[in-house]
Amino acid sequence: MSTILAEAPKQLGRLLEQVWLVAVLAAAWWFLSANSTSVYFPPLSKIMQSLVSGFTTGTMMRDVVFSLSNILIGIAVATVLGVAVGILIGELERLRQVLDPFLQFVRSVPQSALIPIVIGALGIGQAPKIYMIAFACFWPVLLNTIDGVRSIAPEVRDMAKSYRIPTTLRIRRIVLPAALPQIVAGVRVSLAVGVVIMVVSEIFSAVAGIGHYINMAGSSFDISGAWAGTLLVGALGYLLSVSFILFEKGTLRWYFDSAALASHGRIKTTRSRRKAKK
Amino acid sequence: MTTVQNLDRLEERQARHTLSVQSLSKSYGEGADAVEVLHELDVRVEPNEVVCIVGPSGAGKTTLLRCLAGLLPPSSGKVMLGDQEMTEPLSEVGVVFQDYSRSLLPWMRTKENVAFPLQGRGMGRSQRMALAEQCLDAVGLPAVGRKYPWQLSGGMQQRAAIARALAYQSEILLMDEPFASVDAQTRFDLEDLVLDLRKRLGISIVVVTHDIDEAVYLADRVVVLSGHPATVVDVVDVPFGMDRDQIDTKADARFTEARRRILNEIRH
Repeated sequence: MSTILAEAPKQLGRLLEQVWLVAVLAAAWWFLSANSTSVYFPPLSKIMQSLVSGFTTGTMMRDVVFSLSNILIGIAVATVLGVAVGILIGELERLRQVLDPFLQFVRSVPQSALIPIVIGALGIGQAPKIYMIAFACFWPVLLNTIDGVRSIAPEVRDMAKSYRIPTTLRIRRIVLPAALPQIVAGVRVSLAVGVVIMVVSEIFSAVAGIGHYINMAGSSFDISGAWAGTLLVGALGYLLSVSFILFEKGTLRWYFDSAALASHGRIKTTRSRRKAKK
Repeated sequence: MTTVQNLDRLEERQARHTLSVQSLSKSYGEGADAVEVLHELDVRVEPNEVVCIVGPSGAGKTTLLRCLAGLLPPSSGKVMLGDQEMTEPLSEVGVVFQDYSRSLLPWMRTKENVAFPLQGRGMGRSQRMALAEQCLDAVGLPAVGRKYPWQLSGGMQQRAAIARALAYQSEILLMDEPFASVDAQTRFDLEDLVLDLRKRLGISIVVVTHDIDEAVYLADRVVVLSGHPATVVDVVDVPFGMDRDQIDTKADARFTEARRRILNEIRH
């Protein structure tokens, strides 16, 4: 109990460290824009009003649900496919050599440029947007998975071979965990890609979604509404990445702990466990 | 109940097969660029024997060990287990790799690492965990099964790697420079562990090392590799039997003699 009390001021300090810049910038924006008469840079107070009314009387809630479900389903599909195909390509050296030029080509194609084509071909409903997000997010996951599988130490492969570990068990207990740090990094990249595709695909043509909201507000000269939508996307992206980091810390505990041990000679993240014992 | 059964199993490990290579040659590369590393080697490892393979760096010791493990196909000649030709890794042969920090999987606890190869053989979880525990006991690591390998010292990790090879129920252990990266005291302890396991379990052990003292201390026979491509230049019998001692054995005149003989052969 006493340790928790002793930790409290330290944690508060850490929180303040992270929050102060945001607070200062928000305050600066608030006061500097307070008397703004520009159509394109409305006062922050007005933007906040639009945000609140967007949720209370407007379609904002429905739009957030629409956008969020698109991105979550899209990334889930991309992750499952990217990891499966990535392990296959990473494990089969010949296949990788054949596919390599193609992979390099596809990774440099700007995914958002494909949005008009995909939506033109498949319509303005929800499914084509999920396809687009999944398609764009597939590549970072795929390429990272391939890298992760290929960087498995030859000693580990020898070990698996000399102990005659069957293929499915090897994939499940050796290849997948060994590549997991890289896979997770790929998913983190695809999260950022996914947010962009999500918004752009909704701006291009949609019946709902935050991008749609921004587009509608902007084209009906409700600039503070467009600002409100944009801020909301930012907040959403931030929340997604924070929750992902928490997920990452949980699943890759061994990875962070062993790295911390190697670099500092002690384990940082198990502190909480030791504390619990006291 | 299961523990008792497993105990029986561990004690009954006993080597029954001779592991041997017959006029084994190995080349890397193809055609005109091919480099022959090993030339016409004949080596035999009899049941319950400790054989050390020494030679200067780059003599192909590790290549020979990988051939013995069935990890590398020979260019010509044969690797035999008993009267069966080995073309792939067999469960009778367990390998302890040089780089323990890599060959133990960091995402599994030590006990899971030791038990893992048994999962591939379809052994049930409780049974393989009991066996893993017993093997960790046998190598002097009774209390670390719950820890991750990277939480252990180098010597403890190498013990865990040995426990894994024991748990796999192999009757022949192949060790590639197993104690190259631990401190001197730990190295002596691990050498004595190897001798102890041989005596208690009746297994055969092959140790590749560049350390001549270590080779003579451990081995019943020392196989000396030298030259490019490497050939067996000598096989030295070491007459100390099962019981050896870090101080007395190494002070014995026959130890010094064997050591001098091997050193001369490697230098020339």
